[in-house]
Amino acid sequence: MSSPAPVASPRTVANKSDKPALLAAIRMALEIESSAVRHNTQAFNSGRYSATAEIPDYHQLKDKARAIKEAAIARLPELLATLEASIKRNGGHFFLARTGDDAAHYITKVCTDHQVRLVVKGKSMTSEEVHLNHHLEAAGIEVAETDLAEFILQIADEQPSHLIGPAIHYSRERITALFKRNFQTDLPLDTGEELTRFAREMLRQKFLNADAGISGANFVTADTGSIVLVESEGNIRLTSQLPPLHIAIAGVEKVLPRRQDLAPFIELIGPSATGQGLASYTSVLTPPLNAAPALSDRPARCEFHLVLVDNGRLQMREDPVLHEALYCIRCGACLNSCANFQTVGGHAFGGETYSGGIGGSWEAGTHGLLKARFSELCTGCSRCVMQCPVRIDIPWLNSNLRERINERDVEKSGGILEKASAAQLHAKAPLPKIFFGRYDIFGKWGARLTPLSNWGNHLPFTRGLMERFLGVDRRRELPAFASKTLAQAAKRSTPAKSSSARGRAALFPDIFTNYGSPERGLAAVQVLRSIGIDLVLTEVSADGRASLSQGLIRTAQQQAQRTSELLLKYIRDGREIIVVEPSALAMLRLDYRRFLSPDVFEQIRAHSFETVEYLWRTLDERRLDAVDFFTASRHSLGTRLFYHSHCQQKTIGAAAPTEALLRAVGFDVVTSRVECCGMAGSFGYKRDFYDLSMAVGQDLFNQVRTAEAEGGRRTLVATGISCQEQLHAGFQRKVFHPMELLAEIGNPDSH
Amino acid sequence: MRSTSTPARPELLLQFETAATSAAASVERVSYSASRLAAAVSKKSSGRIAIADTLDLPQELFSDLQELPGIVTGRSKLDLAACDVGVTEAFAGVARTGSVCVAVDHDYSGVISLLARMHVAVLSADKITERPGDLFSPHFLNGKALQRNFVFVTGPSATADMGPLVRGVHGPHQLHIIILE
Repeated sequence: MSSPAPVASPRTVANKSDKPALLAAIRMALEIESSAVRHNTQAFNSGRYSATAEIPDYHQLKDKARAIKEAAIARLPELLATLEASIKRNGGHFFLARTGDDAAHYITKVCTDHQVRLVVKGKSMTSEEVHLNHHLEAAGIEVAETDLAEFILQIADEQPSHLIGPAIHYSRERITALFKRNFQTDLPLDTGEELTRFAREMLRQKFLNADAGISGANFVTADTGSIVLVESEGNIRLTSQLPPLHIAIAGVEKVLPRRQDLAPFIELIGPSATGQGLASYTSVLTPPLNAAPALSDRPARCEFHLVLVDNGRLQMREDPVLHEALYCIRCGACLNSCANFQTVGGHAFGGETYSGGIGGSWEAGTHGLLKARFSELCTGCSRCVMQCPVRIDIPWLNSNLRERINERDVEKSGGILEKASAAQLHAKAPLPKIFFGRYDIFGKWGARLTPLSNWGNHLPFTRGLMERFLGVDRRRELPAFASKTLAQAAKRSTPAKSSSARGRAALFPDIFTNYGSPERGLAAVQVLRSIGIDLVLTEVSADGRASLSQGLIRTAQQQAQRTSELLLKYIRDGREIIVVEPSALAMLRLDYRRFLSPDVFEQIRAHSFETVEYLWRTLDERRLDAVDFFTASRHSLGTRLFYHSHCQQKTIGAAAPTEALLRAVGFDVVTSRVECCGMAGSFGYKRDFYDLSMAVGQDLFNQVRTAEAEGGRRTLVATGISCQEQLHAGFQRKVFHPMELLAEIGNPDSH
Repeated sequence: MRSTSTPARPELLLQFETAATSAAASVERVSYSASRLAAAVSKKSSGRIAIADTLDLPQELFSDLQELPGIVTGRSKLDLAACDVGVTEAFAGVARTGSVCVAVDHDYSGVISLLARMHVAVLSADKITERPGDLFSPHFLNGKALQRNFVFVTGPSATADMGPLVRGVHGPHQLHIIILE
């Protein structure tokens, strides 16, 4: 292996078309930016959870917003024509820029035609996308970024690290150092107040002397030609109202049909973005305004230009997958709710302009597919899915990007092994992707070849080969292949008498449980039978999760098809489906809508349950009391627990029953408050992402330590297999599945 | 049958006051009279005061205000930038968020409410509505808001870009809301 390169600067790793740049960016972010990013994104994240909880019709608002965006993007060409007419009727100018360069040239020409010497700018990601400042400065025009975060970035010459907080990677201390270095001032700049006052005074002079103001626009309405500007600092109001010339630049996707359509968006954007009901200032303007104050008492006539940028968006609109990204309102909720993003921010998990889970689609659409390579940092954990105010399925977008990038990579440099596997498995992807994506095959052979396969997992020689060819990090302990799979082992356990059954169910042995961790499944079988469930096992089948997570979408599709046919047999027979591994369950309950007909999906979704979820539900339906069946104090390790639920389990609403049941039977439970443990399925096993995965895990580890600081050790409990591995890596002690706890504390004669 | 009307005004007023206060604005109720309004503004502020013409409220309501010492009548950028206080009407209030809606396109009301360190917004109690989305409904104020250039103002200007939360950035450091009853 090569020795680590020196730490990069943000600009040098903005373009992550190739893997080394991505890895250098992750190293840079972990070393320099991680603590500020973590602090700021987690503050946004908890703010959003509280603010959205206070909106009584939050989910209906999201449905409304989604429907409006779907219709708007479908009608976009027509809306653009309407908008152009509206702007002209209002006395403004309208320009539709085909490319980024077209937009920058048009704006530069408007400025030079007006002899503009100084431009004040509000934060605009679209202007970053088209490199507007560069063009203006080349024409001799001074550009003053007036958003304080953009002001910092302009001084530091860095790209934004977040959609709404472009400088979240800067701590107060680093800003102080930057200002001292850059302005060579003796003023005290050691508090947020002092820094803000310093910047305010400098920028106030710019505002008063500016000849033109350039802003973005959060929304544009076609019927009236209105724009909405959302901000907290007041700089965008000044930018759009103080100079006589105002130019607004935005992507074409910002257009909504009618001004009345703004209602749900206005109510969603503040809570989703910063956790405020409304940001300090939300302006709704139909420019040009009547008059701007001049230096003398004679008012200046206002002039307004709206520049809408295509730059690949209209092509995205035609894309069967990426068109969904056009619904994005750039609130940043998907960034803040992402564990990987919280740990490295947008300089690693982002491109030249756009960042986070949604950023990959935007970079692919506006700058080209390979610019979206950073979207590999999306683990598919799904925590963002319910946070998006327009319900964009961001993991799905990223799986598709992965598939496209896989194909491009194989075409470019595919070796013999890739070609052979492509022919064998109908999957065009680099070998590590195939390895992680086809755990169904490797798991099966691994289980057949025990103990040989498990020796291989521990030998330095084989681990070296695995690291080199399959990308499996040698520092990770690999889950042992089961010498007896769940399917084999469960044959020997006693089935419940079906006559007096309290429920009928079929346990689906997902490949992770079956080949890698059958004891969890066996515990579930034992517990469910002990409370009188007539439980059988279904045949083993790959559900498609592993393939989907590596971008092997066609394979996932076939696996979903086969698995659903298998499960439907049991559902038609009146059995509920029980799934041990939450990521497999989430596949059934969430992702299968992409692969199955609506009615088949609905049947699968409605009849699939997590193990404890099913147990809790059955007890509830039968009006049985959990304490009659289980007693926490019987457990050999005591009643103090630390429970970490799996990311996808939380997303599909299957985490709460476990917490409720464990408490109901007498455990003292502390739950984790992280979005994801950092292992995220196969992500943390990969050599490229091991350090990031462990850094993400620190939040979880610290929560365990805090919980144990008072009153001593707690038994570690996790529902997901990879979460279990991650906690084990952190503490080197056994991590239990909830069913394993319950199996040990059943009351005798409790039927 | 269940009533479909919005909650009674006193509840909205209370909700508005709570929300505005938690957004770091100060709020006071004043009875509807030119002299009481002038007294309230003079108690709160001193120095140079710019007052934007009213839009919906009768102009007479602001007549006593115009007699206060320090009133600035000039409208150049430098006149307005030198003001300590900017007084504007707020044509609507939003109970849920504690926001006031200020029209920005007459008599430089947008700039007057922004350049001074303190913004005083004068809001008629009967113009408080439940939620932000109402401003985009043709039924609220007969759809007047759908025609206007305006800004939802929620607390003073603020930033978290310099580390901790700081109030008072490019806009006012203080927002004082006078509710006329």
